[in-house]
Parts: sequence; C-alpha cells; structure tokens
Amino acid sequence: MSALRLISNRTSQQALANSDYTWDYEYYEYGPVSFEGLKAHKYSIVIGFWVGLAVFVIFMFFVLTLLTKTGAPHQDNAELSEKRFRMNSFVADFGRPLESERVFSHQMAEESQSLFHFCINEVDHMNKEKASQKGPSLESNTHFQEVPKSSGMFEEDLHCLTKFNIPNFVNTEQNSSLGEDDLLISEPPIIL
Amino acid sequence: ENISDFSLNITDCTQVVVPEEVFFTVAAAGILENLLILIAIVRNKNLHLPMYFFICSLAISDMLGSLYKTLENIFIILCKMGYLTRHGDFEKKLDDAMDSMFILSLLGSIFSLLAIAADRYITIFYALRYHNIMTLRRALVILAVIWAFCAGSSIAIALFSYEAATVIPFTILFPLMMFFILCLYVHMFLLARSHAKKIASLPSSAAHHRTNMKGAITLTVFLGVFLCCWAPFVLHILLARFCPHNPYCACYMSIFHVNGTLIMCNAIINPMIFAFRSPELRSTFKKMFHCSR
Repeated sequence: MSALRLISNRTSQQALANSDYTWDYEYYEYGPVSFEGLKAHKYSIVIGFWVGLAVFVIFMFFVLTLLTKTGAPHQDNAELSEKRFRMNSFVADFGRPLESERVFSHQMAEESQSLFHFCINEVDHMNKEKASQKGPSLESNTHFQEVPKSSGMFEEDLHCLTKFNIPNFVNTEQNSSLGEDDLLISEPPIIL
Repeated sequence: ENISDFSLNITDCTQVVVPEEVFFTVAAAGILENLLILIAIVRNKNLHLPMYFFICSLAISDMLGSLYKTLENIFIILCKMGYLTRHGDFEKKLDDAMDSMFILSLLGSIFSLLAIAADRYITIFYALRYHNIMTLRRALVILAVIWAFCAGSSIAIALFSYEAATVIPFTILFPLMMFFILCLYVHMFLLARSHAKKIASLPSSAAHHRTNMKGAITLTVFLGVFLCCWAPFVLHILLARFCPHNPYCACYMSIFHVNGTLIMCNAIINPMIFAFRSPELRSTFKKMFHCSR
C-alpha cells in the first residue's frame, strides 16, 4: 500500500528540515487536515475500535464457554481412574443405584479402556512403519470391527483423538496413566 | 504539496513513533522463531505430516510479515541517510514489491489458519478416512494452490491498490475468513460438548469445568490474538482509502507504526499457540539445542 510508504516517509521527512515532499502517489496526498471544531475526542476512532474489539473478544469467550458447558448434574472431585477400578463405589458416590446405569457405565469404561489400548498401540505401530500409510489404516479397520461399539461417534472421536497423531489437540503422551485417558476424551479437542 | 503547508495545530495528531530498536527486536525475534520451527519440522522425519506442513506454511507467512517490516525500516533509514532517493523509479518498484510481500504475508496467514482449522475438522469428523482424505501429496498440492493464489492476488492488489475494487474485497476477505474459521471450531466444540456429556454420564470428575474453560480460553486466545494483531491494520487500509482527510481518520492513521508492530507481535505469538503446543516439536527443539552445545 502506498499509504504505508507515505506515512513512513513522512516520519523521515519531519527529520529533514527543508525537503520537497514530492512523492509519486499524488492519490494518497494527505492535505492539511484541520483539527478545529471537533465534536468528539480526536482519538475517538482509536478508542472506539479497541473497545469494540475487546467487547467482541469477551463476548466470543462467553459464547464459547456456554457452548462447552456440559451441564453434568453431579461433579465429583475424585479422579476418574479410581472410579473405573472401583465399580462398587459408583452407587455409593452418586446415589444412582440403577443397575442398568452401572452396567452401562462399566461397559463404557471398559470400551474406552480397550479402545485406548488399541489406539495407543496403533500410534506406536504407525510411528514404526512410516513407509506405508495405508497399511495401518487397513489394519485399524479390521481391528475396529472387533471392538464393541456403543455409538459410532464415540469411537470415531476416540480414534481421532489419538490415532492420527494430532498432538496439538490433546495430550497424547503415551506414558500418561490409563486413568487420564477418559479425561482426554472429555477434553475439547481444541487443546491447541 | 510541501510539508510546510501542513497546518500545524496544537491539537494535531502527530505520528506515534515506535523506537527503531523495539521494531528491530520484535521483527528479529519473529523471524528467528519461525525459522527455528521450519528447521525443526524439516529435520525431524516424524513431523512430515500434513498438519505440520500447514504449521510450516503459517510460519513462512509470519516470517514474510516480519521480513517486510524489517526491510521497510531499513529502507526508511537508507532514505534518511540519503543513500536512496525518494522519488525514483527503482524505489517505486521496490515499494510495490514490498507491499505485495506484506499482502502475501497477510493472505498467507489467513489461508494457513484456515487450512489448519480444516485439517483439524477433517481429523475430528472424518477420523477414520483421514489418512485417505489428507494424504501428504494432497496437503502439498493444497499448499501450492494457496500460495499461488496468495501470490497472484497480492501482486494484483499491490499494483491496483488505488482502486476501491481491490481494497473492499481485501477487507471483506478478512472477517469472512475469521468467521468461517470460527464456525469450524464451534462445530468441533459442539462435538466435544456432546462427547463430554457422554463422559459425564460416567462418574466424572470436576476436571470437566477446568477442561471446558481451557478449551474456550485456548480458542479465544487463538482467534483474539489474530484479530487484535491484524484488524487494526485492515481498518487503517480502509480509512486510508475512504476518508484520508477526515481528522478522526487521520488520528487513527497516526498510530500506524503501532499497528505494524502488532503484526510483528503476531508472528511471535503464533508459534506459541500452534507449534510449541506439540510435544514432538518441543522434543525436536530440545534435541537441536543439545546437539549444538
């Protein structure tokens, strides 16, 4: 933009006392601008712009926070890993003694555990065999059928969170304890 | 017009000058950081993945932006010292070339961010077919197309920057892209929320609140930084085109150097948001620095 050059040159111009200000881009000539009779503060655009930008960013933040609210009724302080390995404590902690729910949650935990083992193995496998990209995906497809499904989207997310080496999303450190795995699922994928 | 014709009112908005040392430090830091990332990605074979190539592309466009500012400042200093004239043909061509480099950097940044967001989107929503959809070759082709388009439009915009027809699309492209990227991420967020709801049906921990906040904070930081660093400059372009003689606009345009410094700050912050979050990249850095000792 010639505006850039114009303003940059202007600062250099002010340093030199008598110089003809001849610049090729007559189009962007800034003639004398009179600052008389201003109704509002002269920096009003600057202030207004930055305030508007700040308001927008804060608004966006609140919208995103609202979007990611899970609305889970019971929030516990205990770690998820402990819960998984202490099935009997489900009832005691949450006062939800429904047998079906307990079985369901047990199943989900088992699935996630097995899927995660599988995913971590897959990542290992992929790292070893970088040559053929199609190989692991074929293998994964066959492995996939063996795993019990609860819902299609659940495993897909699980797979994508670990299998495709997207460390920018989640903390895919493989030395993390198994108990952390469910937290990985629960984290929004934008752990950039 | 001679500068002496300027009506020097006491209430004038004088140019806000950023010290040159600050300018050069910020620019040099941006260039070095992004160069390191490029080297790290090229050297480590594990990082030859589509996702890292898009991060590379972002690093290149950040580097170009900082480079532009550095060259421009050097140019100004040379003008001041008298080595270069202010109204030569060569200088005009140089100025056009530098303008197009800057626009290339801006467009490259926007499209790289878009590519990163799209890549993540495909990773989440087409997870099982990701490897077939986003092969390495396709990623390189996409990058080539993006950069060819950016180069073409930057040259066109630089040549025809006087026309309103180029300024308006340029300034519309910016919010449009931002909005599109926001939509992609919001959709991913909604999926994460439904995911978290499923997990919440399990005995869950209070970590939910923390991780939800974390995701929202991360995304806000990412988009907010990009907005805060580039929007002031885009507004400057608009005002320079449409109301250069208005005193309010002139006052806004007087903080032009601050806007330029903000763009270079974006080049420093972007790697922290994207590249340094990856453990693999961090370990590559550590190896590089240990080897150099």
